[in-house]
Amino acid sequence: MVLDYRGSRVLPLRTALKVMVYPLEYMVDLPYRITNSTKEFFTEHQRLSSDNRELRTLVGVYAARDQKYHSIARENERLRLQLSATPAVREKFTLAEILFVSANPFSRTVVINKGTNEGIFVGQVALAGNNIYGQVESVTPDSAMIIQLTDVRHDIHVRNTRTGLGALASGTGKFNLLELKHVETSMDIQTGDVFVSSGLGQLFPPDFPVAVVTNVTYNPGDSFMRVKAKSLADFTKTREILMIWRADYSSKQVMPEDDDEVASPEGKQ
Amino acid sequence: MENVFLRFTGAIILSLIIAFALSILPMRESWLLWRPEWIALTLIHWALYLPKKSSLVLAWFVGLLVDAIHGSILGQHAFGYIIVMLMTLRIRSRILVDSFFHQLFVLFVVLGTYLLINLWILGVTGNSPAGWGYWLTVATSIIIWPIYNYFLKFFHAKKKPFQ
Repeated sequence: MVLDYRGSRVLPLRTALKVMVYPLEYMVDLPYRITNSTKEFFTEHQRLSSDNRELRTLVGVYAARDQKYHSIARENERLRLQLSATPAVREKFTLAEILFVSANPFSRTVVINKGTNEGIFVGQVALAGNNIYGQVESVTPDSAMIIQLTDVRHDIHVRNTRTGLGALASGTGKFNLLELKHVETSMDIQTGDVFVSSGLGQLFPPDFPVAVVTNVTYNPGDSFMRVKAKSLADFTKTREILMIWRADYSSKQVMPEDDDEVASPEGKQ
Repeated sequence: MENVFLRFTGAIILSLIIAFALSILPMRESWLLWRPEWIALTLIHWALYLPKKSSLVLAWFVGLLVDAIHGSILGQHAFGYIIVMLMTLRIRSRILVDSFFHQLFVLFVVLGTYLLINLWILGVTGNSPAGWGYWLTVATSIIIWPIYNYFLKFFHAKKKPFQ
């Protein structure tokens, strides 16, 4: 127990155990998946066709935008060439499906259907749509456990989009609820403020939406304000999450020799 | 001494697999805290009815699997289940195994100790659950016990005395 708590020495053992339980876990989840897929199969034709039309227009819009990005990327490449900087590597994405939610009521973790075989690694950032979802806690060859932002053990540094002030968003263990810590009483913060990831610690990409403030209270005598925030990723409804391979989020010039910089384990205490 | 025997080989393991499946069954969020301790109940059942066949090593191993799947510290549930098994085996010789109220006493003591140990380990590692919701599982475990016990009896049969 101490070995597990203090370091990662028993990680292979944990992985082996997880691989052993995986078939059982899969079997338990199978009926739910089957009912879901049949339900989807029998959705009315009407809705599907309207969805299809909508998506078609969306694809058109995105294609046009993509065109713009291409030109910008080319321009960026040219400029970088002139500055003799290394070309910025583009981020790589892959879509993963949530297999099951942890049965442990005291943790907020999910298991996805991609593992080391697809290149998932511990500490990788998971997104849900445009919002940050969490990070990878442990991996097996074919699955990975992701710890959500709302887990009690999870913290992420965030920045107020309105004022630019920073705070630490900690998980509460409750659904879609985060707590902003170390918010001083003099700080300008109000209900409705949107907090984005600050990118400090270089684990999470900067400027991804994290939470919106729902409640600010202050007890006279406390050193900090008590700020509750609702996470922008809806953890109850997300079925697919996006795994990203971090490239180079910093805008500074990166020299070739310090290219393989290891991401520091921010976010986990 | 024991007047029951296993109906087929691997019955204990099968019952544990079923308990495991029950304990990871997807449930609505608000019901999660009410989930009975299926695996602990199964271990108690086997320790009560077939003490010769129940092994501490098996309990330990099942605990390790639970730890792996729950993402808890490796050894937390393993230790807990060993305590469950050991305590039940020790108490067993002092009670009437088939008496309902004696069983309830065992459940209270054993599950209470088990959950208390889990709570300590959670507390030491810095994520202790808040509130009394943690103890709800004792109530549901005890409520579900008579039914569950009845179904588990399917896995063993009574020995017939010689005519």
